[in-house]
Amino acid sequence: MANAVQAAELLRQEFAAVVLEATVAQGAPLLRVKSDQVPLIAHYLHTKPELRGSLSLLWAVDHRPRESRYELCYLFTLAERKDWLLLCTDLQGEDRIFKSLTPHIHAAKWYEREIRDLFGLIPVGHPDMRRLVRHEHWPKGAHPLKKDFGWNTILERAQGMYAFRHIEGEGVFEVPVGPIHAGIIEPGHFRFSVAGEPIMQLEVRHFWKHRGVEKLFEQRPLLEGAPLAERISGDTTVGHSLAYCQAVESLLRITVPRRARYLRSFFLELERLHNHLGDVGAICNDTAYALAHAHCSRMKERMMQLNDRLTGSRFLRGVNCVGGVGIDLTGEQLAQTVAELDSFEPDFTELEKILFANASLTDRLETTGILTDRTAWDHAVMGVVGRASGVDRDIRRDHPFAAYDELQPKVALYRYGDVRARMRVRMDEIHESMRLIREVRRRIPQGPVVAQPTGEPTPGTWALSAVEGWRGEILYFVMAGENGKIHRCKVRDPSFVNWPAIQWAVLGNIIPDFPLINKSFNLSYAGNDL
Amino acid sequence: MFRILKKSLKTGVVTGRHPEAKQPAERPASESREKAAPFKKSLAIREVDTGSCNACEMEMNALTNPVYDIERFGIHIAASPRHADALVVTGPVTVNMEHPLKDVYKQTPDPKLVIALGDCAINCGVFKGSYAVTGPVDRHIPVDVRIPGCPPRPAEILKALSELREAER
Repeated sequence: MANAVQAAELLRQEFAAVVLEATVAQGAPLLRVKSDQVPLIAHYLHTKPELRGSLSLLWAVDHRPRESRYELCYLFTLAERKDWLLLCTDLQGEDRIFKSLTPHIHAAKWYEREIRDLFGLIPVGHPDMRRLVRHEHWPKGAHPLKKDFGWNTILERAQGMYAFRHIEGEGVFEVPVGPIHAGIIEPGHFRFSVAGEPIMQLEVRHFWKHRGVEKLFEQRPLLEGAPLAERISGDTTVGHSLAYCQAVESLLRITVPRRARYLRSFFLELERLHNHLGDVGAICNDTAYALAHAHCSRMKERMMQLNDRLTGSRFLRGVNCVGGVGIDLTGEQLAQTVAELDSFEPDFTELEKILFANASLTDRLETTGILTDRTAWDHAVMGVVGRASGVDRDIRRDHPFAAYDELQPKVALYRYGDVRARMRVRMDEIHESMRLIREVRRRIPQGPVVAQPTGEPTPGTWALSAVEGWRGEILYFVMAGENGKIHRCKVRDPSFVNWPAIQWAVLGNIIPDFPLINKSFNLSYAGNDL
Repeated sequence: MFRILKKSLKTGVVTGRHPEAKQPAERPASESREKAAPFKKSLAIREVDTGSCNACEMEMNALTNPVYDIERFGIHIAASPRHADALVVTGPVTVNMEHPLKDVYKQTPDPKLVIALGDCAINCGVFKGSYAVTGPVDRHIPVDVRIPGCPPRPAEILKALSELREAER
């Protein structure tokens, strides 16, 4: 199987006429190609059996005022070795049109609509040109990530209606849900078309919580972005801030001390623990199994109180900073954590036994909300949801960061793609997180926990960073601007990729099972909407 | 069955096992306490997220777990604003959530309380000034109680709510 360098060479030979430049950036081969040929090359890369690149990230950069051009970048992950390969293309001057990739690669669907909304670049040939981020009341021509759009512009209100897709026929009716839901959850709109009980179609309409995070990053100095990253999705505080800090560190060429890398893994696993515990409980709760929910939320609370004792924040806020970690732990604190886990693990194992022995629970979970491996591949689904559908990807193993090169995590993998598989992935990862935390305590070296940043990055240089948060791959693209500021920061929470996939997982299921399927995905609205 | 019973007996009662909350910086204003008087014995809350980072939601959810068990104070979470006595609003009000928030306010029967939960709902926090944020909650609907924090701990929320409903001394 080809690694990324061989793959890039192969592409260069196949498409000699359209590849303008081949370089290496951030350890990944980068091919600069003509903009109208991108779909051709991407299609080849996506379908060629020995490459099978899946689209991991697609983003745009407005290079003004330094250069009058837009740049589009496509990040692919090759199926076998999980290597990265970048395709980049330029839109010069007044050019606002690029060829859509969506007819060839399904996963590009939301990315291209997002680019259209935020940059005003038009993906020609895209099958769905409705607005995504900008709701219909946004004025025409407001594209917030263009450099000539002020970050604090006050938007006027326009009129407009979002056109939902309709299914018509005898006995078919629509059920609108949201944006404000019945539980304590975030806002989002779901529109079901049903005939009787089974769902024929689900349309997800999001971006109610769009807060303009990427534009807010551009107002901040590179060194002060972490507090904002922590608040992109509160439950993934460590994941997001870590991904941001790593990107800045690679821009500033800071070597993070080894102890800090271990502590970062330690905190990331703590975050995974309390979130997975909450999810297992929430899945049980949606089958009306209140007892299991009570036990899980009790355990989750225990973990969050532990976080609070260790760092002064239940969500581990302020843990990561550029250069390392802001909080050092004493040997005693590490030992206490491990002792707490030692008493906690049998508690959880007992609960697991109770859950697996419950036939009515299993009946609700099995074969519910199946996401087939084919659909998962088409949508480039990742994280917990992907691993429950046979997508063997985990950044901790594939592109080790923090201390994972030395810790070697085991990856939980299931193939059924139903709610039960997603719950089992979480349960396995709970045990694995506890193992990793113990391992950190055993191996952690002494030394400093933060390296001071020196110097300023050259404007226009950029860095990519990836972190396996508890939901899945968190990707950050950070480009340095003038005076130590951020020129562009692309944030990609795994939710953005997995939300469209839920529309396929619910088909044929009954509406009462939707909350269950939704909980088993447990995607972030805030991380998706940005 | 035996396993479940054993588990429950082994676990025992966990309610109230949490660190004490710090005294809130300010006591709720006497007008809002007056407004809360009808809800002294029971309070139905509808939570509305207008753009938070979901940490405040997680803490609201934590209130219903066995450790805080908010129902023992007569507080419960209603599924619809029409069943609610109080709205708990979290997050800065985004451009896209402005209308839903106003709708929810209209749908909530009088008398009602509005509680702004978390720094973002009170002053927009780190999202202040963004093109996609229209302002804090009190720019759109009248706010009676403010519970600061990023996010406030469940114990602090609990304390603020009980202070609000305490009898006038």
